[in-house]
Amino acid sequence: MKLEIEQLSKRFTGNQYPAVDNITFSMQAHEILSFVGPSGCGKTTTLRVIAGLERPDQGIIRLDQRTINDDRTFVPPEKRNIGMVFQDHALFPHLSVFDNIAFGLRGFTKAEKKDRVSELLNLVGVEALAKRFPHFLSGGERQRVALARALAPEPALLLMDEPFSSLDAHLRLEVREQIRNILKASQSTVIFVTHDQEEALFMGDRLAVFNQGKMEQIGLPETIFHDSGSRFVAAFMGDSDFVCGKSNPTGFETELGLLDQQNDYSPGTDVEIAIRADDIDFELNKQGNGRIINRFFRGAFNFYRVELDSGAIVHVFKLHTEIYQPGERVLTFFNAGHPLKIFAR
Amino acid sequence: MFRTSALRSSHRRQNKPIPKIAFLAGSVALLAVIPVIYILIHALTGDPELWQRIIQTRLIKLFSNTLWLVLAVTTGTSLLGVSMAWLTERTDVPGRKIFRWLLALPLAIPPYIGATIHLALLRPRGGLISLWLEGNNLSFLPLPIPTGFWGAAFVLIIFSYPYVYLLSGAAFRSMNASFDEAARMLGRTPWQTFWQVTIPSIRPGITAGALLVALDMLAEYGTVALLRFETFSSAIFVQLAGRYDRSAASILSGVLILLALIILYGEFHIQGRAQFTQIGSHWRPATLIHLGKQRIWGFLALLFTVLMSFIIPVSLLMFWSTQSILDSQTFSGMQIGSRGLLSFIFNSVWSSGFAALLAVLFSIPIAIYVVRYPGKISRLFSRLSQVGYAIPGVVVALSLVMLVNRFLPFLYATPLVVVMAYVVRYIPQAVRSSESAMRQLSPSLEEASRLLKRNALQTFMQVTLPLILPGLLAGSALVFLSSLKELPATLLLRPAGFETLAVRVWIWSEEGFYFQAAPAALLLVVMSIIPLYFLLQRESIFKQ
Repeated sequence: MKLEIEQLSKRFTGNQYPAVDNITFSMQAHEILSFVGPSGCGKTTTLRVIAGLERPDQGIIRLDQRTINDDRTFVPPEKRNIGMVFQDHALFPHLSVFDNIAFGLRGFTKAEKKDRVSELLNLVGVEALAKRFPHFLSGGERQRVALARALAPEPALLLMDEPFSSLDAHLRLEVREQIRNILKASQSTVIFVTHDQEEALFMGDRLAVFNQGKMEQIGLPETIFHDSGSRFVAAFMGDSDFVCGKSNPTGFETELGLLDQQNDYSPGTDVEIAIRADDIDFELNKQGNGRIINRFFRGAFNFYRVELDSGAIVHVFKLHTEIYQPGERVLTFFNAGHPLKIFAR
Repeated sequence: MFRTSALRSSHRRQNKPIPKIAFLAGSVALLAVIPVIYILIHALTGDPELWQRIIQTRLIKLFSNTLWLVLAVTTGTSLLGVSMAWLTERTDVPGRKIFRWLLALPLAIPPYIGATIHLALLRPRGGLISLWLEGNNLSFLPLPIPTGFWGAAFVLIIFSYPYVYLLSGAAFRSMNASFDEAARMLGRTPWQTFWQVTIPSIRPGITAGALLVALDMLAEYGTVALLRFETFSSAIFVQLAGRYDRSAASILSGVLILLALIILYGEFHIQGRAQFTQIGSHWRPATLIHLGKQRIWGFLALLFTVLMSFIIPVSLLMFWSTQSILDSQTFSGMQIGSRGLLSFIFNSVWSSGFAALLAVLFSIPIAIYVVRYPGKISRLFSRLSQVGYAIPGVVVALSLVMLVNRFLPFLYATPLVVVMAYVVRYIPQAVRSSESAMRQLSPSLEEASRLLKRNALQTFMQVTLPLILPGLLAGSALVFLSSLKELPATLLLRPAGFETLAVRVWIWSEEGFYFQAAPAALLLVVMSIIPLYFLLQRESIFKQ
């Protein structure tokens, strides 16, 4: 294993709850792992603890079989061989692009520095900017220089803390594809922090979903999305809505009717069923079980928000040709071709 | 969360290591407060009979004199400073770009030089204006009495308003147009907008400036002594220089410091909020108010202020300097023994420069500690190190005389004691500059350097220091400027024969040798303009 983390915890003084709560995971070499979760969930603190910028209260961190943190050890950040790309890029304003990238190349001769820096400038595609100062770079250029600087000393692990958050939305899509290609080309081992689910799915070979200091689930993007391990993951990653139900031997009784699905719950258990907009459908019906409260036009689709009689809100996809008015009564029913995720209440 | 108590204790140690910088910062804070504490203890343990005598005979008069002066000057500088800032920042008055500079330049003129010129012009016997009136048979025209309360208040207002002017100017400048526009859209007239939106949003700037002026007035010695208006500072000076009565001086100093500490506390309170109109990404400057036909009055108000506070004083100094240099007798009078102007300049520059260097060096650990480790203790250290704002020069002198005599006798009667006084008195200015420089430095830059294999010290030398250097230089320029102009502590602490420009100007002025004093005074002003120009360039209102 490239990176091994065991029972890592960190609580800031004055806070009741730990920012990082007993986290354990490991990473393979050349892997990109996305940390995703709402703000304040502990993903950035975990990253900073791994970097050595914060001291954990407990936990073991091993990088390339070397212990860099445990009860007795705290290796300072400059001795960890870890690179980091900061949210604000943190390019040194008093140094040129060349000197910024060369900053981490300690012990290199002048010629070696020159070669390595031009190699990196080439890798990130900003050869022409070597003499510029950070102040005169565009957002995307700064992003790439920051990456080049972090990669220059060939760190064992690269940490990226919401690196695209300072970019405009349209630029973000373009830059993240370039960056992912660079990371793969340089065979880097990367932890990538973001609060954007879509970005996490795009960047990560695997995903780790954080909530309230805990790592709720870690796994392949498909698994996280389709086989969420907890209600939180389903809600945060999958844009799921939830309806209540009761189990019986053949399925679940809900206000959308019976969900026909084999299960191991003892009959009468209260559950919640996670549903996405493509798992259900509705038709106009005055005696139905809910009413349309809004319609959002999404190009090829109409996206309807429906309030069920119990007060629960669900969303439904319809073709762009099917237009109904808010306020109309509808009958909503299950229409999924696959089993749905069930969580005990 | 933790399973064993052994784990717990080891974690606590690991979790909250006390940074080394805290010890350095604590030492600086301690050094900065020793003089105040020493004086307060000395005052409180003073002879009760002496206390009673002072309370009965002196205290009420000194209290009311000092407070009235503070009140008058603070009010006057606020009115003058805010109206000048409003004219140059918010209206289309002609020449406002030049006036912006001219209005700040009186900071280069120490008020006691202003008071000297004021006396030279208005003395009932021998004043230039009085003589001119007599010569033209106009002596029946009444001239204001130049000395006393009104004289002192007038001189101090016209040479202190730039503090308020600069701070409120910056506040006007940073105001977003949308505030005013929102008020207008919500049905307020321009006049109502001014009072209900503009003034409240720059109020922290005005208050901060006014409180700094108030602290300055408590410390002011030269002007009130020259214009014969007795305040705490001048009374303490007389006790020390004339009667050598340290006990009485300590008691008066104790009361004065308490007064100053109250004001300083208010200033700390307001300081954090002095800028709630921050310039965000959508900032647009407020549109200028068109004065129309009233422009001429705005222009005249600016011109009058600038004439009184800068142009006339400097022109007179230049005129007298030329005359005294041309007159061989006066010129040779400028030699004191074998020493001349050059030695005064040399002494002024090295003592102020050394003080500036020390103050900035000492301020660095405080700035790093308070900015990178925010908390109750670091804030306490920062505030303690700024207590110098509340110790007038005469009090610094008194405490250093006693402290040095007792603990560092080998330093007694050396110019180094003068340098120590400057450091104690002006280190707050360095601390504030260094802190604001540190605050502008994103911690991620230092973190990036750590991850690029630099330890804490290398990071400071290669990343932090180069980036905060402009701020440090500004702090040292400020301390240099203040030390150059410092009078009472220099007078009381200097060893025999240690003459600075300020000392010489003062001695000649007190004896009425205005022509002789002029070249030294002019040099002092010119030398002050250099650091002042550097400092003003950094102010937002001088950037376009």
